[in-house]
Amino acid sequence: MIKTINIREIILEILMQITEEEEYSHIVIRNVLEKYQFLEKRDRAFISRVCAGTVENMIMIDYMIEQFSKVKVVNMKPIIRNLLRMSVYQLRFMDTIPDSAVCNEAVKIAQKRGFYNLKGFVNGVLRNMARGMDTIIYPTPEKDPISYLSVIYSMPEWIVRKWVAQFGFDQVEAICQSFQKERMTSIRCNLDKASKKEVIDSLEEQGITVRENPYLNYALEIGNYNYMKAINAFKKGYFQVQDVSSMLVAEVAAPKWGDYCIDVCAAPGGKSLHLADKLCGSGFVEARDVTESKVRLMEENIDRIDVINMKAVVADATVFDPESVEKADILLADLPCSGLGVIGKKPDIKYKMTPIKQQELVKLQRKILDTVYRYVKVGGTLIYSTCTIGADENQFNVKWFLENYPFRLESIDPYLCDELKGKTTKAGYLQLLPGIHQSDGFFLAKFKRIQ
Amino acid sequence: MAIRTIRIMGDEILEKKCREVKEMTPRIQELIRDMLDTMYEAGGVGLAAPQVGVLKRIVVIDTDGTAHVLINPEIIEQSGSQTGQEGCLSLPGKCGMVTRPNKVRVRAFDENMEPFELEGEALLARAICHECEHLDGVMYVEHVEGDLMDVESDLEEE
Repeated sequence: MIKTINIREIILEILMQITEEEEYSHIVIRNVLEKYQFLEKRDRAFISRVCAGTVENMIMIDYMIEQFSKVKVVNMKPIIRNLLRMSVYQLRFMDTIPDSAVCNEAVKIAQKRGFYNLKGFVNGVLRNMARGMDTIIYPTPEKDPISYLSVIYSMPEWIVRKWVAQFGFDQVEAICQSFQKERMTSIRCNLDKASKKEVIDSLEEQGITVRENPYLNYALEIGNYNYMKAINAFKKGYFQVQDVSSMLVAEVAAPKWGDYCIDVCAAPGGKSLHLADKLCGSGFVEARDVTESKVRLMEENIDRIDVINMKAVVADATVFDPESVEKADILLADLPCSGLGVIGKKPDIKYKMTPIKQQELVKLQRKILDTVYRYVKVGGTLIYSTCTIGADENQFNVKWFLENYPFRLESIDPYLCDELKGKTTKAGYLQLLPGIHQSDGFFLAKFKRIQ
Repeated sequence: MAIRTIRIMGDEILEKKCREVKEMTPRIQELIRDMLDTMYEAGGVGLAAPQVGVLKRIVVIDTDGTAHVLINPEIIEQSGSQTGQEGCLSLPGKCGMVTRPNKVRVRAFDENMEPFELEGEALLARAICHECEHLDGVMYVEHVEGDLMDVESDLEEE
């Protein structure tokens, strides 16, 4: 038998699945690497890097291709367009691979995939690109700021346009830059299980880099580890992986001893676990989610950390539950959203989201709020949050909610460090922006039920 | 060291059933050494005796730097499935998609005719299945899903 695996063909297959079949890149890459377990580590790393890099920089790559091709990228055959994309990524971002190797491999694949007649086209575009890489003229911030941000940071124009209108050019550029930066993993110490010092000691013993987080004293940032499940402190339930922005939810909710809490869209459960931790075993946290598999994952976490005052249940937040009426001291509504705040972790989001999908999400968010607000006791707290950036799903929803329901905003300043305090936090809400703040993009608002 | 000639598909010997090896002889020892040499020389990861014109139930496999010699092999367990490209030294320049079990356990005899068992996953499982079929006169092309494809050939510079 002969081994006939061609690494670049595997990459092409992965890109086809991501771009043409709309699957999520991290899932496709993981599945394929699992299938080809026998590949050498070096080959596996090459596959991940080229796939992830091509997806992350796709708008820029397409722009570059169109400088050398008369045919628009959208009009190309899917195989050819993805073959060119992965090759351009290697030409532009991987200096160790000779340009001629990239071109030759691409031509071979084109031929093998039955595009004998397009061999010349693929070869021509790539060779001209390799030669003319430095002559490409990109949009400039002065002349065309929207195209500049879109092409240089591979962000769809509709998103850039909305953000620039709300935050201004400089902030949007900082946000886009932060998405491309490697960030450390944010974790929350389970203070109920171990002191911060114990967590740090255990991590450092395993050679893991640990840094304190500026916003919360029980939040840490870790780096330089291979595999989360091999970390002792994780196995012992000393900490939970959670972005600091999401930790602010339970912090701002500020549960009192014995409070009853409902988290209506809880999975993966970080905020619920945090509430349970803050309640020190008292009260109760009901973590609901509509997907059974996600509820099972939450149960695993509950077991790992050994939480006694929390339960995960399958429940659809859009369906009214009469049993819950005026039962909750604290209600968390961390709702399904466009996820534009976490593009740094999941780059596919920027391509999959559309203005129409976003409007549908706003409708869903309002439908859920309209259903769950009744679960809050009079005098109780409702925290609305999303992991997205932009007024449509955040400030506009806050305004709509205040106008239509018996709630008022409550200041969140008492729970925040000075760096995060501002006009809006005094009013009761906060938009975190990656690149401006040291966190994911996130929004939260605190409401109190008044009647 | 001797490199033997690899028979190409169409050669009737590749369609015949091979005979069991009853005992180890110096000639068979030499055959095994030659089979390994021939496999490595051709850049293969597995080779069956009929591919060098000998109708004996012997295969050699090396998918990851460890050489396995299997005499009178018999697959006793298999599970899972994997679909991927497969090619054969007896059909140069071609390859095709074939679905195989992802894990197999094979019982065989080693060069000293001692019985042993080997478990293989992924590529090793694929190679075990592929080579064992040669001993019954079966080529992978019978299992190919879709068309046989051309393996990349070196292209002239344009």
